[in-house]
Amino acid sequence: MSVAQIRFFTLWRREVSRFMKIKKQTLGAPLLETFLYISVFGAALGSRVGELHGIEYVVFVIPGLIMMTWSINAFSNNSSSILQQKFQGAIQDQLSSPASPMELLLAFSLGGFMRGLIVALLAFVAASLLVDLPIDHILVLIPGLFLVGFFFSQLGVLVGVRAEQFDDVSFVQTFVLQPLIFLGGVFYSAELLPQPFETLTHFNPIYYMINLVRYGFVGYTEVSIPLSLLALVAATGALFAVNLRLFSTGYKLRA
Amino acid sequence: MSDKALHITDLVKRYPAGVEALRSVSLDIEPGEFFGLLGPNGAGKSTLIHCTTGLAQPTSGAIEVFGHDAIDNYGEARQAVGLAPQELNIDWFLTVEETLDYHAGYFGMPKRERRERTKELLETFSLTEKRDERTRNLSGGMKRRLILARALMHRPRLLILDEPTAGVDIELRLELWHYVQRINQEGTTILLTTHYLEEAEQLCSKIAFINDGEIVAQGSSRELSDRYGVPNLEDAYLALVGRKELSRSQAEVEVTP
Repeated sequence: MSVAQIRFFTLWRREVSRFMKIKKQTLGAPLLETFLYISVFGAALGSRVGELHGIEYVVFVIPGLIMMTWSINAFSNNSSSILQQKFQGAIQDQLSSPASPMELLLAFSLGGFMRGLIVALLAFVAASLLVDLPIDHILVLIPGLFLVGFFFSQLGVLVGVRAEQFDDVSFVQTFVLQPLIFLGGVFYSAELLPQPFETLTHFNPIYYMINLVRYGFVGYTEVSIPLSLLALVAATGALFAVNLRLFSTGYKLRA
Repeated sequence: MSDKALHITDLVKRYPAGVEALRSVSLDIEPGEFFGLLGPNGAGKSTLIHCTTGLAQPTSGAIEVFGHDAIDNYGEARQAVGLAPQELNIDWFLTVEETLDYHAGYFGMPKRERRERTKELLETFSLTEKRDERTRNLSGGMKRRLILARALMHRPRLLILDEPTAGVDIELRLELWHYVQRINQEGTTILLTTHYLEEAEQLCSKIAFINDGEIVAQGSSRELSDRYGVPNLEDAYLALVGRKELSRSQAEVEVTP
């Protein structure tokens, strides 16, 4: 390995090792949460709801749950990790190394991405054991999920860099992300909502992400898949560019 | 391209609130020198160190480490610098051994070399028994040892020690000075900030006084004493900060019949 490869791999390894050391909290808890959602909405409510758009209710819900799991974990990992390291001052060790802003940003981003990927993968395996979960469009599912994961990793980095206290991180997660995810159609179809709620849902960016992932799994969507993919690529790219600028200028990282 | 270990030219650091922490500072440290940077709290010592190591963005000016730009194309310059900061800025999630291993990794050191260097420094700083301990469980003195070991992991040519003995016991202080004197004799350049003037006097071949963001005097301990017309470095320092009345040597003269 070259010097740059060793450096980048170590930066990334540190991020992964952080969440692996507290895996009950970072992997176990979100997995249990997803399992509980599947149990409650699938077994308890699913039998009464029956089918949505010809799809068994629990199967309709699971793609959104997997997306939610990946996104929340990617976000919370990166925002917490960066804020903790700023708080401890430990981030100075990375910042005073020869690592470039791009290397630092990618390493921080991919830490949360990995955590989201692992939890989502475990949730997928658990769900597959409980129900017959199809994968109809793998060529949409894989890029869709990866883009969602990377988008929320970037969002976590942005919030972590800007945050000055833990309250700043939990505010975004509790008062912005969770409502957007829950109202983005994880548990229902927006088409069944009365007006103006159906129209309002179309202004929620998470709605398009959920539809992308749901289309990848079960082949059902309420939005244009190419347009959603394009918008997600653009949004992720824009967020990455903003973060790179923050790392290059040292915003709230360097004095 | 400078042949100095550290070559700072007209360095200015102005914080967004308007505070000017460094006012056109120029400073040269020769390779192999043991250089002391002394000044009262808030004089600009840590800001100068942070600008050199990339932890602060200079407003203007130039910094070169062994001839390499330390501001824009900083890769080579940072590779040559080891920083033991004043704050105990250790990652709580890591063990002692991991702290050293990760640091060396950030500087691109291969695995086998990291392992050997970690073993060597754990022994040097009496940390071997604590190697698997989480850093958050270490005592203050142990954390200080770890920070020093970490700064040395990638074999820096310029070692920056920002008040390394603040709050440490006499045993560690002596251990540390023996070690840094040894590596200085082996060729490592050292930049030291300390509030213990007798340490600076004993260790440093050259000393600079910084006050209110400016280098106000520099030279050997003897030269500084002569410049201020006083018998020792402590009195020269007191003259710098305008507190001559605190002079211990003057008090001794006055009480002697």
